[in-house]
Amino acid sequence: MTAPFLEVVDVYKSYFLNGKRIDVLRGVNVRIEQGELVSLIGASGSGKSTFLHVAGTLDAPAAGVMRFKGQSVFDLNDAQVAEFRNTKIGFVFQSHFLLPEFTAAENVAMPALINRRERRATMTRARELLERVGLLHRAEHKPGELSGGESQRVALARALIMQPALLLADEPTGNLDPSTGEGIHALLREVNRELGITAVVVTHNEVLARSLPRRLRLVGGQVVDADAAPPADAAPVGAPG
Amino acid sequence: MLALAGFGAVVWAFAAAGVLPVMLGELGLGTVGFGTFLGALGGAGSLLAVEQQRAAASLLVNPEAVGSARLAVAVGAAAWVAGWLALSRGLTPRAAVARADSAAKGKPLFPRLANSRDFHWGTLAAYGFGLFAAEVAFVLVYLLLVGKASTGGAVTGGLAPVTAFVLAFGGSVGVAFGAGFLGAANSRRLSVPEFTTALLYFGLPVPAFLTAMHHVGWLMLNVGYKLREVVYLSSLLGESRPELGYWLVFAGLVLATFLGINLGFVATASGRFDLRTSYESFIASRHVAVFRPRLVIGVFLVLILGIVPPLILLAIVSAADAAVSRTRIKRLGLADPLLAAEALNEQRLAAQTPTAMMTALSVGGVGVGVMALVIVLSVMSGFEADLQKKILGTNSHGVVMKYTPEMPEYAEVVEKIHRVRGITGATPFILNEVMVSSEGNISGSMIKGVDPKTVGSVTDLPASLGCEAGRPCQPMEALEDPTKIRARRLEPGVGEGAIDDTPAKPPSPLIRDPMVELPAEAPDDSVLPGIVVGKELAASLRVVVGDRINVVSPLGGELGPNGPVPKSRPFRVAGVFYSGMYEYDSKFVYIHLREAQTFFGIKGASGVEVKVDDVDDARGIMKRIYDALDGYPYRTKDWGEMNRNLFAALRLEKLVMAIILTIIVIVAAGLIVATVIMLVLEKRKEIAVLKALGVPDGGIVKIFLSEGLQIGVVGSSLGLVSGLAWCLFIEKVGIKLDPQVYYIPALPVRIVPLQTVLAVVIAILVTFLASVYPALKASQVEPVEGLKSE
Repeated sequence: MTAPFLEVVDVYKSYFLNGKRIDVLRGVNVRIEQGELVSLIGASGSGKSTFLHVAGTLDAPAAGVMRFKGQSVFDLNDAQVAEFRNTKIGFVFQSHFLLPEFTAAENVAMPALINRRERRATMTRARELLERVGLLHRAEHKPGELSGGESQRVALARALIMQPALLLADEPTGNLDPSTGEGIHALLREVNRELGITAVVVTHNEVLARSLPRRLRLVGGQVVDADAAPPADAAPVGAPG
Repeated sequence: MLALAGFGAVVWAFAAAGVLPVMLGELGLGTVGFGTFLGALGGAGSLLAVEQQRAAASLLVNPEAVGSARLAVAVGAAAWVAGWLALSRGLTPRAAVARADSAAKGKPLFPRLANSRDFHWGTLAAYGFGLFAAEVAFVLVYLLLVGKASTGGAVTGGLAPVTAFVLAFGGSVGVAFGAGFLGAANSRRLSVPEFTTALLYFGLPVPAFLTAMHHVGWLMLNVGYKLREVVYLSSLLGESRPELGYWLVFAGLVLATFLGINLGFVATASGRFDLRTSYESFIASRHVAVFRPRLVIGVFLVLILGIVPPLILLAIVSAADAAVSRTRIKRLGLADPLLAAEALNEQRLAAQTPTAMMTALSVGGVGVGVMALVIVLSVMSGFEADLQKKILGTNSHGVVMKYTPEMPEYAEVVEKIHRVRGITGATPFILNEVMVSSEGNISGSMIKGVDPKTVGSVTDLPASLGCEAGRPCQPMEALEDPTKIRARRLEPGVGEGAIDDTPAKPPSPLIRDPMVELPAEAPDDSVLPGIVVGKELAASLRVVVGDRINVVSPLGGELGPNGPVPKSRPFRVAGVFYSGMYEYDSKFVYIHLREAQTFFGIKGASGVEVKVDDVDDARGIMKRIYDALDGYPYRTKDWGEMNRNLFAALRLEKLVMAIILTIIVIVAAGLIVATVIMLVLEKRKEIAVLKALGVPDGGIVKIFLSEGLQIGVVGSSLGLVSGLAWCLFIEKVGIKLDPQVYYIPALPVRIVPLQTVLAVVIAILVTFLASVYPALKASQVEPVEGLKSE
């Protein structure tokens, strides 16, 4: 049997509020197979974003193991982790987090430039991606001149330029109105279907979550199958973050 | 040898005891193991030191000094041990709180935390041995290159000190740099604890030992003797304070190590060797936006025109601009309010951020520093060159003398000198002190007997007499042949005891014959030997060409009834010279060599003056002459030795100015630190995003180092260009000086390429180092911190 695509074992993580330790992840165990489109729901402050950051190697857990195609990610050194983020993972955050000094096309191209790909070819590819998300006419605009939905689509294009294996989206529609948000969701589903990119979408939008094939719920510091556990006894672990 | 090691240990324990606990305390290195280790090492060092001190006591002359030294060592050792005890217990010990077990008890720690190392022994070894090896290599290589010193004081064999120094220093800087690079590459961080330890335990002992050498007699006798070339070099470096020289070299090596560490860290911080900066500099240039024409031109104008006028201009222009655009937007708004809102928004977007202002300020700061450095160093070099030109014009580049006052065989000596490579002229001379009197006044003077045929090949005397090269020089010919002097014929009735004689008579044998010379009775109307006086002296004596003056010497006179009678002799002024040096123009008179021979009763000459083709290598060429003359009883001196005080003072002044101006650059570097810190704070979110996109820590460091470097490079270039422009302006247009005070009509400027390049390089280095700290801070931004939305 081959190793699972992503396997998270016994991950513990705390954060501190006014000097008090809050154990937000308490032994998280998750397996995600290649090509899955997973939603992660949970109450505010239940640790959804923390889990996503740990899974995306942006945050160091206190303990635990994460294996990506059988390789232990937490054992990598700084350069290897950076390369892992660069080539294997695409992030989309609640805010678009585009770099304000660069045009939309340059923002999309940035991960490839960080990978030291050739400049001209990269910019061409960035334009193709912008065309795919329907923003080619905005390619030379700076983020300050883009609307929220446009920015989020640029951010999605940026997450895709390195053709990552795993797309991690942290409430990508949290700041958008429902109709704009639905556009982003449609794009996510399309990406998953057409490019075969495994995606984990954190959301507290139950409607969106129900539209995705697999649903996980973070409750009590642990990840459970959302369809198996009733949401009623899910008490928030800590104060709202 | 043992005593020597002991002393090294004393100095080392001493220096360390005073400084270490404080420094490390500040660094917050409360690591128990580390502290205890160093404490033990220091304690052992101090003990050893005390023991060795006792052993050394028998060698020392002054027992009191031993007592006080022993007391000092004891106190130092106690402070050292106490400091380390305090450190090893933790600076601020906290009571342990009983905590309940967490849910994760027994689970494996996050691997990267579990595998991290607090102290890299390999890195310490690299830094420590690198620094030590660099110091020892410097001393040994220098000694090897410069060759062993001979008994005559001059050096035999080997290279010139400057060349040897450059080679040895270059080599040891390379060693230090390489060690820093390797050490940092090994630990993949800046490894401050390792560097501090290496610096104190391996770096400090050598300069401390050398410094101690100068204060301990027996050490100087035993070791200093062998290192005397190093001492000589250090006193050249430190302006006759060798200790300063040691520490300057030490500082240079430490700086090299530090640079190596930085570069090694930058290259390998992220776990692989990577010096490429493609996207890093792309991002950095967008962040600092330092190549904007508006910024560059603005800063350049500020530097060229002075700070205030461009600012006033800017204020006027921007006020007018604002007024115009307000009117435009208002008119637009009257027609279409929403378009006006859009225009307002565009205006707001175009407004400068505080960071952009800071960037402009730091570019300007670096520019001002470099500009001041370039201008001041050029003007001081101009002064130095001017002085050197005048001194070397009037004086020779070197003299050959004998240990006896006379050199009857000067003709042979001149011939031998001419065979030495690098000689362009040699002329015999006689130098003595005399009094010169005219009808109106009297003055003490230096009188120099010269050979008019060859003196022009050594000094600028003909030129300062107003003669052009290659043409017959009337005053010089007159010196040779006194009949050519036109005596001054005064208007009758002026009554100054005027001399009224005719020139055409042949020289009287009476005057030529020293035996029958009767100075006071020399007839007024006879032909007198010529004399050339300085312009200032001529003015104070109130004489012009053709006047008669008396030269009075206390030496060589006859014995009268009341003791020796001063010898006096009349001369006729054959010319008035103007060298530009007040000292010379008011003190020197020149006569023919044969007149001097007869006047002072000297056979031959007192020495030979030499002119060389390379002024800067005068010392080496004079050494070759010394060798060609087979040394004793001859001795040689170059112009640097003859005017040592003057040039030493000038160089010291220049050094101090350079240090003061470097402080300006350091202040500018402070601006850069502030600017880059502001950039880091402003860009926390962007740093987090970049990390999420896959930029390793090393990449973040490179981005912000590159930002500091861009500010430094642009600022230095602007400073260089405006400094050179100012120098050119001073040179071409000139800034008038009062010649009565400065003896030069205008501010002299001499742009020395090497020192100008050095100023720019130092400025860029300083700015680079200044951005190291903020860049490290930037790389430590945790992605999650920056990504917390809002």
